[in-house]
Parts: sequence; structure tokens; C-alpha cells
Amino acid sequence: MWRRSASFVLEKYQLPSSPMESPKSPQSPNPNPNPIPNLNSTHGISAYYQTRAEHHGVVTSDWLAQAQAAVEPPSPPSERTSPGSGKPFSVIEEFNYWRKKPDLAEAVAAIMALAAVIRSSNGTTMMELEIELKTASDALKKGDRSSISLSAGCDLFMRYVTRTSALEYEDFNAAKLRLIERAERFGEISLKARRTIAMLSQDFIFDGCTILVHGFSRVVLEILKLAASNRKLFRVFCTEGRPDRTGLRLSNELAALGIPVKLLIDSAVAYTMDEVDMIFVGADGVVESGGILNMMGTYQIALVAHSMNKPVYVAAESYKFARLYPLDQKDLEPAIRPIDFGVPIPSGVEVEECARDYTPPQYLTLLFTDLGVLTPSVVSDELIRLYL
Amino acid sequence: MPDVQALVGDFALKLKRRKVEGSHASARQTAELLRSVVSQQRLPHAGQAAVLIDAVRAVGEQLIAANPVELAVGNIIRRVLHIIREEDLSSTTTAMEGLGLSADSDDDNAGDHEDRPALSAAAVAAAARSALRAPSLHTLLEDIPESAAVPHASSSGGDSEGKSKSAADKSLKSRKLKHDVIEAINELIQDIDTCHEQISEQAVEHIHQNEVILTLGRSRTVKEFLCAAKEKKRSFRVFVAEGAPRYQGHVLAKELVTKGLQTTIITDSAVFAMISRVNMVIVGAHAIMANGGVIAPVGLNMVALAARRHAVPFVVVAGSHKLCPLYPHNPEVLLNDLRSPADLLDFDEFSDCMDFASRGGSPLLHVVNPTFDYVPPNLVSLFITDTGGHNPSYMYRLIADYYSADDLVVKRRSTS
Repeated sequence: MWRRSASFVLEKYQLPSSPMESPKSPQSPNPNPNPIPNLNSTHGISAYYQTRAEHHGVVTSDWLAQAQAAVEPPSPPSERTSPGSGKPFSVIEEFNYWRKKPDLAEAVAAIMALAAVIRSSNGTTMMELEIELKTASDALKKGDRSSISLSAGCDLFMRYVTRTSALEYEDFNAAKLRLIERAERFGEISLKARRTIAMLSQDFIFDGCTILVHGFSRVVLEILKLAASNRKLFRVFCTEGRPDRTGLRLSNELAALGIPVKLLIDSAVAYTMDEVDMIFVGADGVVESGGILNMMGTYQIALVAHSMNKPVYVAAESYKFARLYPLDQKDLEPAIRPIDFGVPIPSGVEVEECARDYTPPQYLTLLFTDLGVLTPSVVSDELIRLYL
Repeated sequence: MPDVQALVGDFALKLKRRKVEGSHASARQTAELLRSVVSQQRLPHAGQAAVLIDAVRAVGEQLIAANPVELAVGNIIRRVLHIIREEDLSSTTTAMEGLGLSADSDDDNAGDHEDRPALSAAAVAAAARSALRAPSLHTLLEDIPESAAVPHASSSGGDSEGKSKSAADKSLKSRKLKHDVIEAINELIQDIDTCHEQISEQAVEHIHQNEVILTLGRSRTVKEFLCAAKEKKRSFRVFVAEGAPRYQGHVLAKELVTKGLQTTIITDSAVFAMISRVNMVIVGAHAIMANGGVIAPVGLNMVALAARRHAVPFVVVAGSHKLCPLYPHNPEVLLNDLRSPADLLDFDEFSDCMDFASRGGSPLLHVVNPTFDYVPPNLVSLFITDTGGHNPSYMYRLIADYYSADDLVVKRRSTS
């Protein structure tokens, strides 16, 4: 139900689907006249948010530790796909395998899947390999358009392949091995990025401060964890995070760390803002303007914070930087997510099911990334340096 | 080396007693001191850069502790550390290009080079080149930069290879590194000296005919900026807010009048009343922070707010030695200098109010005389530095050029 936009990136995405999307009907008031639309509109549900919800369903810290211990021997992935599988190789399956792992970021899963493409490729020249990778990453992106970090991860890796391979390797097989090795270390890079961000942000948390947190972000959790282990004294306000109650989950984790936590309903943000010293949010994606796409509600929190002069800090790994330039909220394809209201919704009532919103850069104070503490305008600089 | 120690102690004492004040003077003297530290430092054959860096760090720690409010001192120390890293890197890369792949391992990334499979000379060179650059999306997938993690001790472990080389070659190289660093520091000192001219060269681009400029207090950079515009036959008027409590504005007004500028003095509290007639506010700064915020003489936040209210451009002129890679959220940066109340009050008149003998040692009258204001980046329209005009959000870029990320904390690593 998004409008056609001026943003060229989206134009490209919309072209193939445009015949389907006839000018009049798209998904006007009620596309499927069912009594409870929010229950069976599952076809459009964002895979990104679905996996996140699945992860969150089980993610507790002790479970994570167990999972990590189980994953620890790094051998299974390489054995799993390379020779044994008789059926034709599919990137999507590979990607889905990786994304199931709760401690892996989406971009890491994407890059792992692309590494598997390289491994199973029969190409003998760099050009062939690149074409194969391109089709694979296009397939991945088409598979889940709502995931910003998936496409950002794919783009980043593709860029790395084209940049380095052509220039610096004489031997194709060596190049291939090198690429696979780099891709497989990306998981490590991502974990390291999280630690770097946590370290960078420690200076900003002072004793006695109150931090408002929205959504469940692994990076933000890492930051707060490190601050707690550095014996900083602070308290955290968690928004509830309807409809998937991410805030409840975060408060669970924080309470286990012994951090004083207060839960707020999402609508109590403005009410409590005068007690808050700073706002910490994660990001699903950081766009070229320096704004962020994040869980629904971030925008209004940022607006309230801006009007009350509170700093809004975003913690995001740099591989979430995406080449998108949304001009307004409806500019991006909405990521649909089912919302359970607890009671049946009368027919004819529409439900806003989008899972995320866009927060423009002027409402953000600083971005904590593994590249350093950045002002929002740096994001476009970094992206331009990478892609031009 | 006792003479260097004495020099350092002397300068630290001067900083502590505020005998050296103002960012220009302290920046210049710090650079000169570091130059003599570098030139007197005896260098071993291996790991010269590490030794130099340690020496500079040791001095830096003392100087910063002597006057943490004078951010220019820390800036210059970080600049010099960056210079050493850069010179070291350029000498190793040229050596590498000359020697093919026999990776010269007396830089502090020795551990990095050893575990790398011999891929191709070009790849190694590229990695070395990127080692100093700030991390970016480019290099995210390339080698994880470990320069920060590798302890300096590793460099001495890697010199088995180096010993095979002739000693003459070595000593030549050691002299060369030192020489290059000293040369670069000389350049830095020259930059600090000429920054006023560089900045005032741009004056005519910013000041137009018949404009009204407002400034507060006295800044040498502002004075030269205005005079340069006057010399180029611009006629304009200047409002000078006097800058209580030190009234440096009076001095500035006098200087401007001798240059033939039409000048008006106003009180600080009249700034808001006059701002609607002003075309541009031009002020100096004490330090520019990494987020584009400014630490400036007290009263400037008020001027900035007034300027914002009337949409008057608020321009800050400052040499690049005032560019500080820290964020103002660091509590040590938010330190303010509190000066003597004698600037504000005559002690005779108020002595009975401030009598510590009465009321159990706490007088009713307190006097607070802070030196600095913090002006947030969103109130600043433009920075004019010796490299040109920049937006506040662009400051990070200059900082990435001038400083390396490892030096943000000057404290010496505990040598384990």
C-alpha cells in the first residue's frame, strides 16, 4: 500500500511487480474481505520479523550460551553443504539455515549463504563467479524484501568481491579460497563489531543516568551489559514494545543482570521523558540520509526526545548501512507483521500492520557503530566511499 | 636526557599555574617541547616508532594532567603521535616496495604481517596502507585491524629477521624516521603559526559590503579575520559585545578602531536587542569537539541562541589545532575553568558578605566565574578553519584526517 516514490532504489524494486499492482486496486481498504484480516494475511508477513520473533521466542541468555556451545565447533557448516548434498544447491535454503541461528545477525547469514555459493560454484573465472553471486544475491533479496540488513549484507559482500578480486589476486583458486575465508570470518567481525560498539558507548553512560530503551536490540543489550559489568550505576526504562513484547524480553535480560528496570507501556514515553537522560535504540537498517529504520515507535520516541532536548543514540553495526534514501514513512515497502489485539477485529476495520518506521536524521544525536561514534551525516559519506 | 625532563616539568608547571594560556600559545609550545623530546630520544634498532610513541605519550600524560582544560595541548600530542605513526608507516611501505615481500617487521603491526599467508605483494601493501586509516565500510571485510590489540612488545619479538640486515642500513633508517618526524613537527608548528593568515584569507568570501558583524570578547583569529576583510577594501560595521567579566571586547574594539573599522561596543546583555540588525556573528573558540560542538568563552551560548532566534549565521573561526577528537560527553572534557571572583567584584565592598568566619564557615554570598560555554553543534552554521569552511557535521572528517583512533586516550598502556 505504499505510494510510488521518487526514490530510484525502490523504483527498481517495484518494476517487476508493477503489472500486478494495478493503479486502482492495489490493496485498497480491504483486499481480502475476511472477518479477521490480521489473522490470515500471513502471505505478506515479513520474513525478517518472523525470524526475529522466532529467535526471541527462545532467546534467553542461558539458552544463547547453550546454543553458542553447540555451535562452537565450526566444522558442521562446511561439511553440511559441500560434497554430500545430492540435491541442487539453493541459496535461499542455505540462508534460511543460517538465519535460524539466534545469535547470528541477518547480514551475517546472508554473507554465509553467499560464501556457500562460492564454494559450490563451478565457475572458472572471476567473471562467472561474480555473475553467479549476483543472481544468488538477487534471489536472496527478492526472497525477503523487508530485511534491510540482508540486502545491505549482500551488497557489501558483492562490493568486496568486485573490488578486491579483480585487483589483487592472480590465481583464481586462491582468490576463491580467500573470499570464502573472509566470508566465514564475517560472523566474528560482527561479534567484534558489537563489542567495539559497547566499548565506544561506555563514555556516554554516566553514573546515575536513566536510559530509555525501545525494542530488543542485541547491540543495546551488549552496551548495557558492559556498562553494568563496569559497575556503572544507571537505570533503564524499557518500553513494552507491542505487539511482540520485545521490551518485556529485554527487561527480563536486564533484570537478570541486576540492572534496575522499569517497564512502560508504549504510550507512556512522553509522560516519563522528563526523567530520562538519554535514549538508546538499535536499528534494522541505517539509510543513506543517516536516518534509521527501526521497530515501530522509534520515530515517535525520537520526536518526543527531540522536543524535550534529550539525546537519541543509535547503536548499529556498520554492515547495516544500506543504500536507501526514504523520503517519508511510506516510502519503503512495509514489513508486515501480525498483530494480536486479543479480541476479534470487526470486519471492515483496517489494521496498521507495518513493523517499523523511519526516523529522519535530524532527530538522532549520534550513531555508535564499529567505525566509531558518528554523526548521522557520516553514513552517506561511508556509503559513497564504498560504492563510488 | 635530564634536560628534556626538566623542560617538560617546567612547561607542565607553567600550564598548571596558568602561566601559559590560550590555545595558540599552548599548542605552539607543546609542539616545540615534543620536538625536542623526539630529537633527544635515543632510539633502539627495532621498534623505533613504538619507543617514540611511548616517549611522547609519557610526556603527554604529564602535560594533560597539568591543565586538562587546555584541550589544545592534548590535540597537539595526538597530532604528533599520528605523525609518528604515519611516518613509520610510509617508511615501512617504501621499504617493502623496495625489498619485495621481505616484510619489514619493525612496525608495530608485526604480528599482523606474520600470520598472513603470502598472497601477493600488492595485497600486503594495501593492507598496510589501510592500517592507519580509520575503519570504514571498505575495509570491514578485509583483515580485522589488530594494530590496537597487538601489544608493542611483539615488535621486539619480530626483529630476528631485521638482525640479518646490515647495521649501517639500520642506523640510516633510524635517523631517517626521527628526521622525518621532526620535519613533520616543524611543519605542524608552522601550520599553527600561519593558521591566522590562512583563515583570514577567506574573509572576503564571507564578509560583504555594508554588513554588520557581531562578535563577543576578543579573539586574535577574529581580529585578523576582520582586519583582512578591511584591508581588501570591504567597508562594514562591527558590534563588539564587551565580554564580561574580563572585558576583552574593549581591547578588541580599540584594535579595530586603529585599523579604521567602524566599531560599536555593546554590553553582553544587549546582544539580543541588537541581533536583529546583525548580518553575521563571527566568534572565536577555545576548542571544537568531535561532534561539531564548540567550547567557547563564556556568554557565547547566549549569543548563539539569539542568533538562531533571528536566523543570523553563527560562524566560528578556529585554527585546526583547536580541533579536539573527543566528545563533549566525556566528563573530563566538560571541566570548566573557574576563575577568581576578583574579576567580578571588588573585594572591599563585598568582604562582609563573604566572611568565612560568620555562619559556621559558609558565607551567604558565592561568586562563580566560569570561563567556558558549550555551544551545541546545531547552533553553529559554519566553521572556518585553515583548511576552509566546514559544516559542523563534517568535523569528524577533519578529525579522521588529523588523528589516529588509537591515540584518543593518551594514557600509556600498562606495560604488562
